[in-house]
Amino acid sequence: MSSVFWSVVVVVLLASYITWTAGRLDRMHARVDAAWAALDAQLVRRAAAARALLPLLPTGPEARALEAATSAALKAGEAGREVVENDLSRALRAAMPLLQSAPGSAQARAELETAATRVGLARSFHNSAVHDTRGLRGRRLPRALRLAGHRSLPAYFDVDDTALSSPT
Amino acid sequence: MRIGIVCPYTWDVPGGVQAHVRDLAESLIGLGHEVSVLTPVDDADGADLPSYVVAAGRAVPVPYNGSVARLAFGPLSLTRTRRWLRRGRFDVLHLHEPTVPSLSMLACFAARGPMVATFHTATARSRALQVFGTTLQPGLEKITGRIAVSPAARRVVVEHLGHDAVLVPNGVSVRQFAGAEPLPDAPPGPTVVFLGRIDEPRKGLDVLLGALPALTKQVPDVQILVAGPGELDEPLPDNVRLLGLVSEADKPRVYASGDVYCAPNTHGESFGIVLIEALAAGTPVVASDLEAFRRVLDDGEAGVLVPVGDSAALADALADLLHDPERRRHLRAAGSRVVQAYDWAHVTRQIVEVYETVAAAAPVELDEDADEPDVEDFGQEDDPGRVSETLRRWLAVVRDRVAP
Repeated sequence: MSSVFWSVVVVVLLASYITWTAGRLDRMHARVDAAWAALDAQLVRRAAAARALLPLLPTGPEARALEAATSAALKAGEAGREVVENDLSRALRAAMPLLQSAPGSAQARAELETAATRVGLARSFHNSAVHDTRGLRGRRLPRALRLAGHRSLPAYFDVDDTALSSPT
Repeated sequence: MRIGIVCPYTWDVPGGVQAHVRDLAESLIGLGHEVSVLTPVDDADGADLPSYVVAAGRAVPVPYNGSVARLAFGPLSLTRTRRWLRRGRFDVLHLHEPTVPSLSMLACFAARGPMVATFHTATARSRALQVFGTTLQPGLEKITGRIAVSPAARRVVVEHLGHDAVLVPNGVSVRQFAGAEPLPDAPPGPTVVFLGRIDEPRKGLDVLLGALPALTKQVPDVQILVAGPGELDEPLPDNVRLLGLVSEADKPRVYASGDVYCAPNTHGESFGIVLIEALAAGTPVVASDLEAFRRVLDDGEAGVLVPVGDSAALADALADLLHDPERRRHLRAAGSRVVQAYDWAHVTRQIVEVYETVAAAAPVELDEDADEPDVEDFGQEDDPGRVSETLRRWLAVVRDRVAP
């Protein structure tokens, strides 16, 4: 009798723990998705802000590089995004010195700086969410029971966004 | 934005976190945001609570991380926290010190939705984290954005929680301190000011008192003004005057009453807001060579650093500075440059940027009803209803910009 009782208790506890962990994992994935959506929006915003600088740049290799980089960044999907965004950072870094003296560029530069700061924030928040999710997915129970289901392992997004963002 | 801020420490006891929360709340309100602050309050009948403060009941004093913290943790606090969350319907919830077992931790567990946490402490050993580390994880992982007020506090977040944190320094209302008049009964001669709890060893009043005989020998007419709550057992020399707890309104005047501000703290200071206040009031600083202080003082460019706990070196540094008006003038100028980065106007802008980014990066609305089926339902991640309103607004802005 008592052994049956205790097995039932153990099974119920285990089942609720597994259910809770599955729910927790699901919420974590939702967090990663939302954080990625926000980061994506900030990256697009940065590319758009960079595009607004184009008319202010003198024609030359820097302007051509920036034009190519912004076009690529605005079209990019999730795959290969880091490379494209790094290219954009590099092109912006090369172009910024030419803009310091350009008349009427103050507002566009301020907008770009804001966008770059936001990319930094959104990237930090995204990577935190990824860190938590990967941490839980790496534990024994979720791995053994495949609690993550078909969802792919979220990846960190590492891109050099320090060059333009003011240190926050 | 509708912003809910949770302060873990008792509102009517002065402290760095409380002051931070108050100034942040008022600064945000000044920018037109709706702000509500949930905090423990000892004297809830006291009529002098600001209108944005919601009392969550009394807190109990607990020795914690080397000092005495007054914490609220229990079923009643939890009920009040839940009610506050439900009524607030906040766009962003901002928790201060969520690893301290108090209201912020309760709110972190009870709430869902966009959450920002600010980490103030630089103490590497947090008891709560040591004991409950993995138990706290399910709550702490709901936080979307983390802010650290100092590099030392950031290191604690990175090492103990494994997360990145954005560095946003503590703010100071520079305007409130700049140009303050000295107290009417301020000593006329050379004066050294100390501000902080006098019975808390890490604030280092002992070190200053230990330096006093040597200092008096070099500067015979020196006076020490000590402002801060607490009790001392031993009798004090004649040239030390205790002012007791001073009001926020009088604080700038206390700083302005000194020729030099002395911060002999021994450890545990994560930020050094007192230094920034002193600099904002135009008083040169002599401080212990703690990492946080060195950073604020720009490696000694904007103030004098002395070895931690070294009374003899402190006496020499104070005497040198009191004898050298030219150096003091130079340090005052450097100090007023340093404080600009810590002005609340600047700091609040950075925090609002974090709020906006977090509001866009968090998946669900802030709603503490965990049983609500539409929130718990699996497989709804792709439902556009779960993408936050802010994010959609931004996407619209971006689309307009990109479209020819």
